[in-house]
Amino acid sequence: MVDAARQPLIEVKTFTEVEKVEGYVGNFVVTLREKAKYVRADRCNGCGACTKACPVEIPNYFELNLAPRKAAYIPMSQAVPLIYNIDMDACIHCYKCVEACGALEAIDFSMEDKLVEQEIGAIVVATGFGHFDPTPMTEYGYGRFPNVITAMEMERLNNSAGPTHGALIRPSDGKSPKRIGIINCVGSRDKRYNQSCSNFCCMYAIKNALLLKQMNPDTEISIYYIDIRTPSKGYEEFYDRAREAGIRFIQGRPSEITEDPDTHQLFIASEDITLGKVVEHEYDMVMLNQAAVPQPDQNHMSSVLNVAQSPGGWFMEYHPKLRPMDSPTDGIFFAGACQGPKDIPASVAQGSAAASRASRILHSDSWQIEPTVAVVWPDRCVSAKGQACGICERACPYGAIDYTKGLAAEVITAKCHGCGACVGECPHDSITQLHFTDAQVLAQIRTLLAVEPEKKILAFRCQWCSYGGADLAGTSHFEYSANERGLRVMCSARMDADLIYEAYRLGAGAVLYSGCHPQDCHYITGQIAGAKRAARLEKMFERMQMSPGRFRVEWISAAEGDKYARVINEMQASLDAIPEDVLKAEIERLRPEMEKKLTKLGDVPGVAQAMVQVDFIVDEMIGRKVVA
Amino acid sequence: MSEDPITNSHSADFPQDEPRIGVYICHCGSNIAGVIPPEEVVDFAGKLPGVVRSIDTMYACADSGQRLIKEDITKYGLNRVVVSACSVRMHEPTFRGCVAEAGLNPFLMEMANIREQCTWAHGHDREGALEKAKDLTAAAVAKAAFLTPLDMIKVPVTKRALVIGGGVAGINAALDLAEQNIPVTLVEKEPTIGGVMAQLNKTFPTMDCSI
Repeated sequence: MVDAARQPLIEVKTFTEVEKVEGYVGNFVVTLREKAKYVRADRCNGCGACTKACPVEIPNYFELNLAPRKAAYIPMSQAVPLIYNIDMDACIHCYKCVEACGALEAIDFSMEDKLVEQEIGAIVVATGFGHFDPTPMTEYGYGRFPNVITAMEMERLNNSAGPTHGALIRPSDGKSPKRIGIINCVGSRDKRYNQSCSNFCCMYAIKNALLLKQMNPDTEISIYYIDIRTPSKGYEEFYDRAREAGIRFIQGRPSEITEDPDTHQLFIASEDITLGKVVEHEYDMVMLNQAAVPQPDQNHMSSVLNVAQSPGGWFMEYHPKLRPMDSPTDGIFFAGACQGPKDIPASVAQGSAAASRASRILHSDSWQIEPTVAVVWPDRCVSAKGQACGICERACPYGAIDYTKGLAAEVITAKCHGCGACVGECPHDSITQLHFTDAQVLAQIRTLLAVEPEKKILAFRCQWCSYGGADLAGTSHFEYSANERGLRVMCSARMDADLIYEAYRLGAGAVLYSGCHPQDCHYITGQIAGAKRAARLEKMFERMQMSPGRFRVEWISAAEGDKYARVINEMQASLDAIPEDVLKAEIERLRPEMEKKLTKLGDVPGVAQAMVQVDFIVDEMIGRKVVA
Repeated sequence: MSEDPITNSHSADFPQDEPRIGVYICHCGSNIAGVIPPEEVVDFAGKLPGVVRSIDTMYACADSGQRLIKEDITKYGLNRVVVSACSVRMHEPTFRGCVAEAGLNPFLMEMANIREQCTWAHGHDREGALEKAKDLTAAAVAKAAFLTPLDMIKVPVTKRALVIGGGVAGINAALDLAEQNIPVTLVEKEPTIGGVMAQLNKTFPTMDCSI
């Protein structure tokens, strides 16, 4: 901690939150909210006179509310940086602190939150984890029984810097507990709350047990566990030490804690799998080893950073094995438990690893980004012909398009992230996306629907989420109908209505329009544009009396492989439910409707030429089918 | 009109060259070949217009697979390459690099995902998986025919890192960056850095102090 504050190249900004992240790799512009401390950092010398003078006492969050702090405070004596804060929600404006500060004049009640912009090349996200609140698990009585405490409360109660100076006492009567029960997996490995394992709590329970035993060798300690997990170096040996020290390990998940209301003694009822029976033991105190959960503001940070979350709420890495530190956004990296529960060695290692990933960029004079950006055909743009338009400018989530009436729209390449929202929205097909041009995507649609199109489910997927979800379905070997034919664009915003009409014109049995969940969108608001268009299409197809299930809109994250497989299988079932002759008649009935909507498609540069060539491929494919 | 320092010289014009496409069907050991016979996809792809070379390979991403592609680019005068193998999220950079080493623009390579999105998901329906692998390969061939060469866009880099969160991971990342002479802004929402670790007593497995 102190090293970081002393390092001249590190600017430590505490009491500061990230408000906005704009830009792209190498060129982020970050807005920080420096919350008012009401104490001037350049003048405060950390003497603490303000705290002594302050008459207000409120619970200290740092001590898990087990000890008080003043309205003029630092959360702990070793705070870094050592600058006091005035908690304005608690302050009664008696100004005794100002008096105590005297000539230093460090306290300044006129301070306000300050918004600061910084130019940043790369970002390491290390926002950590939160602690599961066991109050909803009424069977354990946390909050009702004073001697049932959480692991973090135990941590402060046996800490020499804590509120009791390291003397462990029972909250009910201040006596030293002789029999302590520790319950593992509180809120973890529990389908009601968090299905996943919290990674470090087995070791953490053992640490606390050994620590309490060291402090008072007469203490009897039992740990209730489902499994004891000790996978890292020195961990199994540590577990052995605990058993040798006489810690009792009981395999079984306690069903209930009851309390004697007079003595506040506690009774844990649990199965003991080794004994093969239900046991009940009496304790002076019980520690609930609570699950590690995502930070309470993790959803908010996820939208500020535009990074997705895995099931359970943790930040989602680019690849679980090969790129565990990378976010899907170039230049943003994860370190520590924000990506999933981790113990200290793993968090430290990941901190270094993320720094190393970031330094590849930061040590370079320039960085390369994909050229899959939007380009305008100036001679097709109606603005150049004097018409008012500007749809592309409004569609762009990045402000990367300049529209001036009378001039062709212009793409600012450096700002373009290549989502294709402008391409999807332009009603005049005057703009396209490199590497995902209409000609290229139509070529794929035609080939994928060359053979028995009525049996096919054409799945439009965005690069970041639903394509990833389809990958995960395969990686997890979740089986789904092989009639699915997948197609990738960068964002659901690129899924131009024409592409969907073309699929039905060709006789597609069903079409899936899929992308990310709105909060996960890689392109800020791309998904919102995609979703609006999808909703319009849904209504239109309903009016056309298209059979239910033939057009489906689903938002599927890269973590939802099971969902991808389920959606495709459900679509297959819907398709199977339509009698073959009915489906064929419907396709024929709708074909002219689709053709009406596609009359201008042939004018899009490259499309007509491409389709002539694609027809040769399709002929070959159909020919193959006939021969076979 | 704009102050854009980065120019984009690419056009979306239709490619004028006659496609000479090489198609590579990866076995991925038994990951693909255990479900579908790759040689059937090879025969199918070999007949598609524009394809001048179609062949299977045990591991397209391995040295031997990449060497085959690079040698073929010269030998057959390939101007487009299709690799039917795994996910673009896995090996698109690999094969873009591979074709670039043989002098072909990396954006003239297209992948078909016949592993994650085909054989791994359709082990229950081998015939269906084979038909799908052929269609996905054909779609990649069709797209490849209309690909145009593109160059990566170079952007400048601001030499400053932002680390969000002053816990043990964030502090360590900030120190590692600063010690490489990179300026760092370390942001912490609480009034002190230290995170959860500063609240702990001793830490396992060595029982040392946490601060």
